[in-house]
Amino acid sequence: MVKLNNISHTYGTKSVINDLSLSMEANRLTCLLGSSGCGKTTILRLIAGLDKPASGEIIIDNKTVSKKNEIVVLPQNRATGMIFQDLALWPHFTVYKNIAFGLTERKEKNVKERVIEVLTFFGLTEHANKYPHQLSGGQKQLVAIARSLVLKPKILLMDEPLANLDVKLKRKILDHISNLIREFNLTIIYVTHDHKEAFAIADKVVVLNKGKVEEEGSVEQIKESKNEYVKFFLEY
Amino acid sequence: MGRTIIKQPLYTIVYLLFVLLVVFPVAYTFLLAFFNIDSLGKNLQLISIETVLLLLKSVLIAATVALFSTFSGTLLGFLLYKTKMKHSSFFKLALLIPLFISPYILAVAWKDFFFIMAGNSNIISSELGVALVLTTIYTPLAMLITGNAFSGIDSKLEESGFMIAGFHRTMSKITLPLIKPAVISSFVLIFIFSISEFSVPAILGVKVFTTEIFTQFSAFYNHSLAILQSALLLIICLLLLFAEGKYIADASFLSVGNRGNNTKTYQLNKRRLPGFLFVIIWLFISVILPFIILFFQTFNNETTNFIRAFKLLLPTFGNSITLATTGALVIVFIGFVAAYKNYLSQTQTKTGKSFDLFMLFLFATPSTIIGISLIRFYNHPALEFIYSGWTIIIIGFVAKFSFIAARLLGNAMKKIPASMDEAAQLEGISKFKRFLRIIVPLVLPSLFATFIISFIFSLGELGITIMVYPPGTEIMPIKVYTIMANAPQSLVSSMTLIVFSVTLLMIIGFYFIAKSIIKKQSYVVG
Repeated sequence: MVKLNNISHTYGTKSVINDLSLSMEANRLTCLLGSSGCGKTTILRLIAGLDKPASGEIIIDNKTVSKKNEIVVLPQNRATGMIFQDLALWPHFTVYKNIAFGLTERKEKNVKERVIEVLTFFGLTEHANKYPHQLSGGQKQLVAIARSLVLKPKILLMDEPLANLDVKLKRKILDHISNLIREFNLTIIYVTHDHKEAFAIADKVVVLNKGKVEEEGSVEQIKESKNEYVKFFLEY
Repeated sequence: MGRTIIKQPLYTIVYLLFVLLVVFPVAYTFLLAFFNIDSLGKNLQLISIETVLLLLKSVLIAATVALFSTFSGTLLGFLLYKTKMKHSSFFKLALLIPLFISPYILAVAWKDFFFIMAGNSNIISSELGVALVLTTIYTPLAMLITGNAFSGIDSKLEESGFMIAGFHRTMSKITLPLIKPAVISSFVLIFIFSISEFSVPAILGVKVFTTEIFTQFSAFYNHSLAILQSALLLIICLLLLFAEGKYIADASFLSVGNRGNNTKTYQLNKRRLPGFLFVIIWLFISVILPFIILFFQTFNNETTNFIRAFKLLLPTFGNSITLATTGALVIVFIGFVAAYKNYLSQTQTKTGKSFDLFMLFLFATPSTIIGISLIRFYNHPALEFIYSGWTIIIIGFVAKFSFIAARLLGNAMKKIPASMDEAAQLEGISKFKRFLRIIVPLVLPSLFATFIISFIFSLGELGITIMVYPPGTEIMPIKVYTIMANAPQSLVSSMTLIVFSVTLLMIIGFYFIAKSIIKKQSYVVG
């Protein structure tokens, strides 16, 4: 369970998140839905521990990981993985090395076996020795997910991971993501501005506007919401 | 600052050493000229109408050079960066050679040219001659700056223009206004470099403000006046720099790697031949002809001069390369530390800003002034170990070239998305390992390029070295310059040809090494 209690955050003087409270259940996929600049990515960064909240606290599995201007648990100790919007694949490493890097540096055992396991799961075995620039958009996406999952995180944070893909590929990867929850017992927090994408995979949808929660609930509840902003947002 | 010291000891040490050893001597000399009231009053009386006229002459020469270089550089920039000209990659590199060759080499070559063609060097040994030589040297800089700006224009902006207007209107109303900051910056930078240039007017025997400062300092030992004159020159440079500082401070044109993938390129059609001829002629005049002249002068009658020149220069090769390598390593280190600090603190800190400003200040300070300042400051019994050795020369190199290194590396680091580092952080990779395994490999091509550029600049540096070199220093530019007054012109040409060839060979050698590194790392971000 991930809980955000009365979180605020600013970039310089600009307030991005304003007294926001939210909870996300374990082993479920929660979609943060909203237009550009509504604070979706900031929420992910706060949960990951890459930014500190200006106020409030963040709790993961009943443990406070961040509080006002303080990172209590370091990002690497939160058991979170993150898929960045630009994927952040290290361009000077092969696919294999991208996936193995974290394991090797943490001096974990059976690195090779674990890497091969995720490569096989994502159908990337034949691309193991390629560099990111030699892959297609969809393959890069899968490598980024594989890189996060190999470290066995409990929570996977996904920042608009399918933004630049065509519909067919989106569908394929969305299926993959749905499988992930079952296979890896994951809690996924998924950021998107595309309500169709959110409705296709989410257990819970949170609609954000200007750093605040406008509405939250199941896909059906959001579809039937009377909230003016939500209705407006879903029209486009 | 207190937290910075604790958190980043290496950065703090580098910053403090830079301020104390490099910035302070120059600032101290500059301030002394104005705050030492007695000598200021006395010296102000020494500034005669002739000095003012000399300053005006230097301003006029610099403005002429800046104007013509910017014009021809912009034209070359357009032809090579904005059109589909054949072999443009080769031309872009080849045309940059004058920028990397020490200016005095080209001055000697042009002097020889007029000597061969007209029987004397009267035409080139004039203000017009200085302007001509400097224009050939600084045009590539204008080409680099404007070419980069041309490449940076998003194709959509010009294509939107074409929807409503023709080529000429789009060029004049959209393209040229978009590159205006680059054109102005190019003019300002070239003006500053030209007015600060010492070696070309000195070799051509033309009295300008920098040579006058050198004479006052080295021949008449009138240090106070030399410093006051330096201060006048420095004020002009700094005023110009800070009036047009933003673009120059960012110096986005100083970068290595791919750029402008999304820019529109034009077909020259019937203008293709004139355009191609212009590029070829410019390359011939600025690179090939000087080399041919020096070659011709050297081997005109016999090979005796060449052998003598080689013997004279032989002891300098090792020293020059060692000094330039040491200088380049120190410069790259300082540039890297400054750039990495800015990369880490996403919003620039006060210390980071001041570090950048100091480097910019020194970059714009004429070499002669840096030289005078270093001598004045380090000529003290307690600092003898710096004054009487190579350290003072290295400090001079650092003062002059750190800005270029910091900008080259800073611009390379700007291309690395923060997410690259953050992704590794989330995987539990330590800060040091992230630095070593992620950041360093990604900036490796730029690190290497910065080293090459710093090395080549240090190898040919004369303006500071001529002022600060300790007696008995055997390095290439000093050897050529000091022998010039008493040796036959053919011997000077031979020595210059050797220096030219050594520099060129090193550039070519480094180019192939860099090419293989960049090819291996074709993944580089940005």
